[in-house]
Amino acid sequence: MNSPDPATEQEFQRLCEFLYRRTGLLFTETKRYYVERRMFERMSATGSGSFANYFARLRSNVNGEVEQLINALTVNETYFYREEHQLQCLTSDLLKERLKAKPRGQGIRIWSVPCSTGEEPYSIAIWLLENWPEVDHHHIEIIGSDIDTRVIEAAREGYFGKRALMRLSPDLVAKYFIDLGDEQWRILDSLRESVRFTPVNLAEPGGTGLHGKFDVIFCRNVLIYFDDASRRAAAENLYENLEPGGFLCLGHSESMSRISPLFDVCRYSDAIVYQRPLETRNA
Amino acid sequence: MPEAQKARALVVDDAGLVRAYYRDILERHGYHVEEALNGVEAMEKLLQASFDFIILDVNMPRMDGITFLKTLRRQALPLASIPAIVVSTESETHDISDARAAGANHYLIKPLREGSLVQYAALLSGKAA
Repeated sequence: MNSPDPATEQEFQRLCEFLYRRTGLLFTETKRYYVERRMFERMSATGSGSFANYFARLRSNVNGEVEQLINALTVNETYFYREEHQLQCLTSDLLKERLKAKPRGQGIRIWSVPCSTGEEPYSIAIWLLENWPEVDHHHIEIIGSDIDTRVIEAAREGYFGKRALMRLSPDLVAKYFIDLGDEQWRILDSLRESVRFTPVNLAEPGGTGLHGKFDVIFCRNVLIYFDDASRRAAAENLYENLEPGGFLCLGHSESMSRISPLFDVCRYSDAIVYQRPLETRNA
Repeated sequence: MPEAQKARALVVDDAGLVRAYYRDILERHGYHVEEALNGVEAMEKLLQASFDFIILDVNMPRMDGITFLKTLRRQALPLASIPAIVVSTESETHDISDARAAGANHYLIKPLREGSLVQYAALLSGKAA
């Protein structure tokens, strides 16, 4: 899956003006990457080959495209502690299961893919510090990966705005972030050092092999944007990147059983997750 | 407590999560905390500022905790006498005696509960727990 070219300056301006006139939402240059990403998703969903093509569709509001784009722009932005119940499931069930299954002294590897600008992998790190008293006892490796090198760079830098932190208590924000003023925060260096960020193309067959095997993979709200072929390739990659017995957490509206028979469904008190079976299954 | 009166701890561990975990516990109990990623960095920090005690991991890249301790104990006073708590996942008798021989004041096994970290920190810094 290739990302389209970035919009030109003029195109971006036109889109922002249009959005402002129609909705009152003001998107400035600092939001450019985010707006583009959502616009590309809508371009691909509507089969628009170019910006001009998509913009024409938007202006005449074909099939309610204005609302579709607005939804994409306002609903899907990620933030810290999103789908907290899965993080709860991680510490109350998944890690225990994995540690039981592994030889003593072997570390735990957790993968967040796609990681966007880092909210999810950093949430995992903070969640473990707050909720897992054995955090100093195990070698924990957290890796965040995304297809887009620009978000990876942003994730490494670790700057966040108010919206990204909205679900964290003021105590947690004060504890793990440096307040830079102007509603900007930077995550602590020790946390930046504890997450590694890498580029990856989840939908490319065999494209994730170098990352090795993980105990738990968080892959939330991305499969819904793939076509069938990419989705199957992604499912196979995820399977290959899981240890036998390792767990896969998807977004709450996603279902792996519709995509691939490779995984078992596990129901825990806080979440439904998918597990790579211990034994290889005959196809 | 004013910053200048706080006892000063140096946390030496290559894992950012572990440093963040110990830092939080110690800061909540009124300590000033600095961090180092390995023995080399710890030695640099100790030469720049004074510390009341050190929390030290064993398995670290570049310079492990035991080598660091041996190096520290060979320095001039008062540097050589800074107390150190070695914290490790290794619990074999020889791991403990190696650390003692290198100059560890206490040897604690991970996972470390908040209570024991605070108790030993208080012991070594002369602060009532």
